[in-house]
Amino acid sequence: MTLALSINGRIRQVQAGLSDTLLTVLRDQLLLTAAKRGCNQGVCGACTVLIDGRPQRACLSLAANCEGAAITTLEGLQRDASMARLQKAFAATGAVQCGFCTPGVLVSAHALLSHNADPRTDEIRAGLSGNLCRCSGYRKIVDAVAEAAKEAKP
Amino acid sequence: MSATAKAVGAALPRAEVREKVEGRAQYIADLYRPGMLHGAVLGSPHAHARIKRYDTSEALAVPGVHAVLTGDDFGDHRMGAFVKDEHAIAKGKVRYVGEPVAAVAAETEAAAKLAARLVSVEYEELPAILSPEAALAPDAAIIHEDVASYFKVFDTGSTANVCSRTSLTEGDAAAWDRCDVIVEGRFATQPQAHVSLEPCGALAEPDATGRVTLWSANQSVFRVQANVSESLGLPMAQLRCLTPRVGAGFGNKMEPHIQPIAVKLALATGRPVKLILTREEDFEIVRARHPFKLRVRTGALKDGTLVAREVEVLLDGGAYADDSPGVLGYSLFMSPGPYRFRYMKASGTLVYTNKLRFGAFRGFGNPQVSFAGEQQIDEIAARLGLDPLAVREKSMLRPGDKWFGGAEVGSNGLEECIARVKAASGWAKRAELEPSAPGRKRAMAAACTAHISGLLATGAIVRMLEDGSIVLNTGAVDIGQGSDTALTQICAEALKVPIERVRLASPDTDGSPYNWGTTASRVTYTTGRAVVAAALEVEKQIKQHASEMLECDAADLELRPGGRVGIVGVPDKAVSFFEVSARAHWARGGPIIGHNSLVFEKPSVDPKRAIAVGLPFPQIGAFAFGALVVDIEIDETTGKIEVKRAWSAADVGRAINPLAVEGQLEGAFVQGMGLALNEEMVWDGPRLANPTLMDYKVPTTLDSPHEIHSIIVEAPEPDGPFGAKGVGEIGINVVPAAIANAAAIALGKRFNALPLTPERVLRAMLGK
Amino acid sequence: MSVPGFHRPKSVEDAARLLAETDGARCLSGGATLVAMMNASLAEPKAIVSLAGIPELAGIAELANGGFRIGAMTRHAATAGDARLAGTLAVLRDAARQIANPVVRNMGTIGGSIGFADPAADYPPALVAANAEVEIANAAGRRRVAARDFFVDWYTTACGPGEFVTGVYLPPPRPGAGLYKKLARVSGDFAIASVALSAAKDANGVSIRIAVGGCGPRPIRADAADALLSAKFGDAAAAAAAGEALAAAADPVDDVRASAEYRRLVIPRLVAETVAHARAALEAR
Repeated sequence: MTLALSINGRIRQVQAGLSDTLLTVLRDQLLLTAAKRGCNQGVCGACTVLIDGRPQRACLSLAANCEGAAITTLEGLQRDASMARLQKAFAATGAVQCGFCTPGVLVSAHALLSHNADPRTDEIRAGLSGNLCRCSGYRKIVDAVAEAAKEAKP
Repeated sequence: MSATAKAVGAALPRAEVREKVEGRAQYIADLYRPGMLHGAVLGSPHAHARIKRYDTSEALAVPGVHAVLTGDDFGDHRMGAFVKDEHAIAKGKVRYVGEPVAAVAAETEAAAKLAARLVSVEYEELPAILSPEAALAPDAAIIHEDVASYFKVFDTGSTANVCSRTSLTEGDAAAWDRCDVIVEGRFATQPQAHVSLEPCGALAEPDATGRVTLWSANQSVFRVQANVSESLGLPMAQLRCLTPRVGAGFGNKMEPHIQPIAVKLALATGRPVKLILTREEDFEIVRARHPFKLRVRTGALKDGTLVAREVEVLLDGGAYADDSPGVLGYSLFMSPGPYRFRYMKASGTLVYTNKLRFGAFRGFGNPQVSFAGEQQIDEIAARLGLDPLAVREKSMLRPGDKWFGGAEVGSNGLEECIARVKAASGWAKRAELEPSAPGRKRAMAAACTAHISGLLATGAIVRMLEDGSIVLNTGAVDIGQGSDTALTQICAEALKVPIERVRLASPDTDGSPYNWGTTASRVTYTTGRAVVAAALEVEKQIKQHASEMLECDAADLELRPGGRVGIVGVPDKAVSFFEVSARAHWARGGPIIGHNSLVFEKPSVDPKRAIAVGLPFPQIGAFAFGALVVDIEIDETTGKIEVKRAWSAADVGRAINPLAVEGQLEGAFVQGMGLALNEEMVWDGPRLANPTLMDYKVPTTLDSPHEIHSIIVEAPEPDGPFGAKGVGEIGINVVPAAIANAAAIALGKRFNALPLTPERVLRAMLGK
Repeated sequence: MSVPGFHRPKSVEDAARLLAETDGARCLSGGATLVAMMNASLAEPKAIVSLAGIPELAGIAELANGGFRIGAMTRHAATAGDARLAGTLAVLRDAARQIANPVVRNMGTIGGSIGFADPAADYPPALVAANAEVEIANAAGRRRVAARDFFVDWYTTACGPGEFVTGVYLPPPRPGAGLYKKLARVSGDFAIASVALSAAKDANGVSIRIAVGGCGPRPIRADAADALLSAKFGDAAAAAAAGEALAAAADPVDDVRASAEYRRLVIPRLVAETVAHARAALEAR
């Protein structure tokens, strides 16, 4: 059945059944594939998107329950200055290896910096604790977020 | 990067990083084809059973279903890296819970999954063999009745549930008589799941001639081709295998997962079929790190000099051999660690059980044998009242020493690795470390390791395009570790061109030279060698053209930074690569293409020094070395261990990209920490009890120390590309051993089993 | 209503009526539990009643008596960040802060969490230690149940068919301390064992409520433990005895997180540590 979802600032018409998640709709219908299906249980964080400005799991969000919410995926943050600083820092510090977790990590990091512009290392670690990465050991990811925060300072 | 900057040794960002940070990188699940169907599999509910009959009628009645396949639809073709014992899908028997018994292709993923559940299979249950000891019992049920007749890469007499045996012996057993101290113990390690963030998947698309294009998450596009070909009985040339971005591997994507099933579904329907495993299926049916049972004995003189060691391994290979014979052989080969022993004997038996196959996982058996061996060195040091790193330094392999069995060791930076971790960690003052809070115990400990990088065949093609830019094609799969970047840097360095002028082609069995795979810490070293050699071919051709253009002898020419070639000592006599390539394309000689292929050829064993039976890798590789110091705290209330800091040094020959090298060491450390402290696949009877990320936990940011200090040591490998060796695995090998050594110092108790959970530690503390 | 079977009522009464009338309907709060189960084919509801559109279920309201009502749809992040939950009620904030991770705390709700009643979850023992009451609605109206009676068994609450949690009532905070100690395999995991403790301190002395999570079918408590600790809060022997009483009351099982035996071993130790920290917190006030 047709749903109207607000995605990256546009209203998109999608087809969804009762059990279809936001993640399935984003990926299979809208081909917005930055959000990944790593576990479909809300644990890994690879599907993290912003729902009404807060990072949430697309895999745990029923599409039908997202009507009326503003959904932002990594694709929708390409012109965002804070995201641009994060992307640059992730590249420069070697925070990206396989990259599968990266979109979710970036969305979480973006949310972290939006309410804490100058996080300490332990705050970054806590802020990203819902995003698993199996490649990096996290150190360079945490360093990259700190670098992006530093970059934002006047 | 400026034209004059060096490419090799530069901490450059990943070549493909932009698409990854923008969310544009395409992994297997991100691919969609017109008319594409979705696949799903049904897993066996039994660990061991005979399949009596199938009923697919209900599944076929589900709207949108195009094909339902069972073992009856597959021919009797078997695949396997060492033993050809595995069908593409269960046929006749099932041998572990979750083993695919039926597959469906349907219009939607939901319909495919629903239909798969509706396939009815009638089984005759057989006794499930759930431990290697049970497999060896005289009256044990036989898992592979035809094991003796299976094709094997090497055959050491497979009988009953024994898949293979390996032994390697060097020196005189009389050395035991000289030992002043002998420590002996039994050790057990647990199965670990890879948990690549990306679950395995494949997309197969047939064309009108029956040729199939197969994209899949893999570590070797050529192993995919070989395995699909073998298990479906298709000529290799009928398959074109491709690799999109891969969301990490760590070993679980080296050999097949469900690629053959995806191909069969595509051929049956004539439509593209995408089959992506769920996380649960990825846990249950791909592969996992081997649980080891070890008996290890190490002897030393009273001054700490290591003298003799014996290692005996009983290896649970799971239901199919997969890479198990390799893991067994490699673990035995590495079991002395990087030390001189007068006598060394290592032997092992690999058995089948009714669990999922155990296979390649970063370290490839080395972490398990190191867990035992590196603890015994600390035990010896403790008994003798010596500094455990001093004991290691006394007996470490020195430059020129050969490996166990007689393999030549080209370069050896172990001494510097140890010196560097000692200096960085404040090793000399380790006894003065204070716990961060009351109720905690703190300790620092170390361990050392070596690892090979090498093995088997690889190739490289370097092509100069008309404008003088370069396309490098190696067939090597970058699984996230950064080989695309490293190989690009090597190529740019060899041709003295800016890195932006070199681009890497994606692995494609139609167009890429053979590459055995991204495994064995081998791509930078082996493929890098081929890239350097192929670039040299290109250089020769460039110089030939330039000598004709500049009217000079080719021997008087040099490559100049920025893509030019000129006469030595005459700065203004030069032509650009563009001019050279244009001439080649349009006037003389034809396009410039350099290629090289090689297979690692140095012998693993010198038959005059050692006796080897069933050693799977007769030509193995170059040796890298490493040393690790960890600083841990133990919560006395609960027994929970926290790693506060770590210093991981690795002799990588030459760091082609230091940022990527650090990334390998840091990531390997945390993965090893998971193995050491918490991760364990647990079976509840025949069924995996924790095949989800809810129940199987990997370290998060908050569980991982921020202070993981990577220390790069460079002892150039004589034949490595710019001296480089591999770094993919060495950082994981001794993480469990070093942590166990620290726990032993903190608590005065030795741990012979992994993982060091709060439960195991608290029980040891309390003697319960 | 554009997706058949999906309902998003605007009032508790409408939700209760829909749940009662609709065959196979499940209540959807934050989704962290129900949708995860649906994705794993462990739940296949024929209809879903989303509570997201009911204004009264969102947020934390201060009551006339100085206590609080936490609406069922209040996210863990909101509970964790509400500074009004102080003194004895800090136990709830402390527990909320330790649930899963920041992203899941933006989704998961207190109603959804306690409605699922995983005894290894963080809220159940914290609510017991906070002496909270759970409000339950059905088609006929609403009722309140003490938290200690709400959790009945493994994944079983006092909610009957067609009933759902609408909120949690907290008594007025008393001066003192509230804390929640969790032992988990990794950060954000469910508890191997956890201890929730509230300590009220006034001129008459100290009053303690303590409950243990992850060690049985529901939060573990023992009158003897509360009494011992209340009588002799500064006394290590009393803390040890309270820990033993709670360990004796526990009914743990072996699971992938730890064995039952380990849990019995660790309960008194965690209790002693929690009591010591609470004592330090009281002294620091």
